[in-house]
Amino acid sequence: MNRKKEMTAGFLFIAPSILLIVLLIGYPMIYNFIISFHKVPVNPKKPMQFVNFANFTKTLADPSFYKALGVTVFFTLLVVFLSTAVGLAVAILLNRRFFGKKIVKALILLPYIVPSVSLIFAWKYMFNNTYGIVNYLFVDVLGLFERAPLWFDRPASAFVLVTLFCVWKFFPYAFMSFYAILQTIDRTLYEAADVDGANGWQKFKVITLQEIKPVLATVVTLRTIWVFYMYTEVALLSGQVKTISVYLYENAFSMRDMGKAAAISILLFAIIFSFIMLVRKKVFKYE
Amino acid sequence: MSKKKKKKIVRGIFFYAGILLLMAAILIPFFFMVTVSLKSAKEAIQVPPTVLPEALTLQHYKDIFNANIFPFLKYFKNSLYVSVLAASISLVFGIMAGYALSKLRFPGRMTISNSFYCVYMFSGILLIVPLYRLLSSIGLYNRREALIIIMVVQTLPTSIYMLKGFFDTIPQEIEEAGKIDGLNYVQSIFYIVIPISVSGIVSVFVYAFMIAWNDFLYATIFLSSSDLFTLPIGLNSLFNRPDYIWGRMMAAALVTSVPVVIMYAFSEFLMKKGTTEGGVKG
Repeated sequence: MNRKKEMTAGFLFIAPSILLIVLLIGYPMIYNFIISFHKVPVNPKKPMQFVNFANFTKTLADPSFYKALGVTVFFTLLVVFLSTAVGLAVAILLNRRFFGKKIVKALILLPYIVPSVSLIFAWKYMFNNTYGIVNYLFVDVLGLFERAPLWFDRPASAFVLVTLFCVWKFFPYAFMSFYAILQTIDRTLYEAADVDGANGWQKFKVITLQEIKPVLATVVTLRTIWVFYMYTEVALLSGQVKTISVYLYENAFSMRDMGKAAAISILLFAIIFSFIMLVRKKVFKYE
Repeated sequence: MSKKKKKKIVRGIFFYAGILLLMAAILIPFFFMVTVSLKSAKEAIQVPPTVLPEALTLQHYKDIFNANIFPFLKYFKNSLYVSVLAASISLVFGIMAGYALSKLRFPGRMTISNSFYCVYMFSGILLIVPLYRLLSSIGLYNRREALIIIMVVQTLPTSIYMLKGFFDTIPQEIEEAGKIDGLNYVQSIFYIVIPISVSGIVSVFVYAFMIAWNDFLYATIFLSSSDLFTLPIGLNSLFNRPDYIWGRMMAAALVTSVPVVIMYAFSEFLMKKGTTEGGVKG
């Protein structure tokens, strides 16, 4: 009797969440799949037309798709690697007692907590072509460039800028995760390594890296999905960095080709899904 | 011995130099946000740039709260409406589901617990096309409620996961004692689970609030009339007009950040307090 009551309560408590997720993630994903095989008229009252694989062939024949994919893969690799590495380095740096630690730890989180739209104003101001402090330093004070680089208007410099911004904004997340796990590592492991005459790098490789591996796996997996799909920061900072999500958004809402946009999202999902499976099996040897 | 001491001092200097560099890299953009918000419109675009404002002015802060000049308050209210409701709903469902997954045994519990990662793969940009069509077809285009629903679903998996983690730390005996006193599951949540996990519950609310407060993507898709704009799209649209004033934008950017920073600091404070108190008792 009690067991049955417990089961009923369990189902009842979890039902609203499951229902919401099925209705607003599961069903839309299936609907997405259906849309990707149709031509979707701009007028929502008109019915969709079945076009077989046309949206997929159209996408796969589009050079901009491959370009966007290339940019995104490169961007994701850079941002995930750099933000994880910087986060880990800072976590190791701060994993000791020192004066002012509390305030330093709190301030590190600022870029992560403050809304992107606010941060982007500050960056746009600093990197402004004519009166920005960065160009003033680089050109007038240090003389690194002869002419002021137009940070936001050229694809290459905009790419550098967006990458820098994302590393700056997202390394605190890696920092938090690593800092928490570093605290749990047994100090005597390092002392034993010292006795054996291990240097800093060896200690890092043999002890630290082994202990943080599960957290590293989680941080890298979640961040990869995140950065791969990232739209807001990329679109707000510069119109010049055409990542795959910007490409998808433009197809859906500028070109109004919802069928193609749906096909792009299906392809995107296939890519990220295979990546996750591969990483979990090969790199982190899960299951 | 003195050589060792010297080495220690040198290392200390390098360490603090590193910390200083790190702090500079993090804080410089915020420094410009603050100083530009206090500079006159002319001084902000002066070449060569001034580091500290030559003449301090609070005019920009007055301006952004003046509805005739700047629709900041309207956007602020819209953001607050969306974020508070989304975070509250996410929290209520999260507490129920987190409790079920942590304390109740029922078939399928482990499968559900283990499939949280999957939901991450379906976030953000991937669902813009179907969600746009589905929610528009039921009349939610240009409604803030569309945003609320989406923010609830996007935050729910993490909310449940975090809350389950907090509830797992509550000893079984405490709840069993409550059961003997005749509490049912709902009463047990209200009288035992929630009071014990206040700091965790606050941190989940703050998490969901931040996601909703910062959302730009879904707001651009669903909101078309500027009366309904939330802060991210509202400020961005003002910024894209040719007559924007830097000081005003920076003042708005700073005030936009205030709620999330305060809430985050408060939830960290509660967490710390919780762990130290627990340490004294245990």
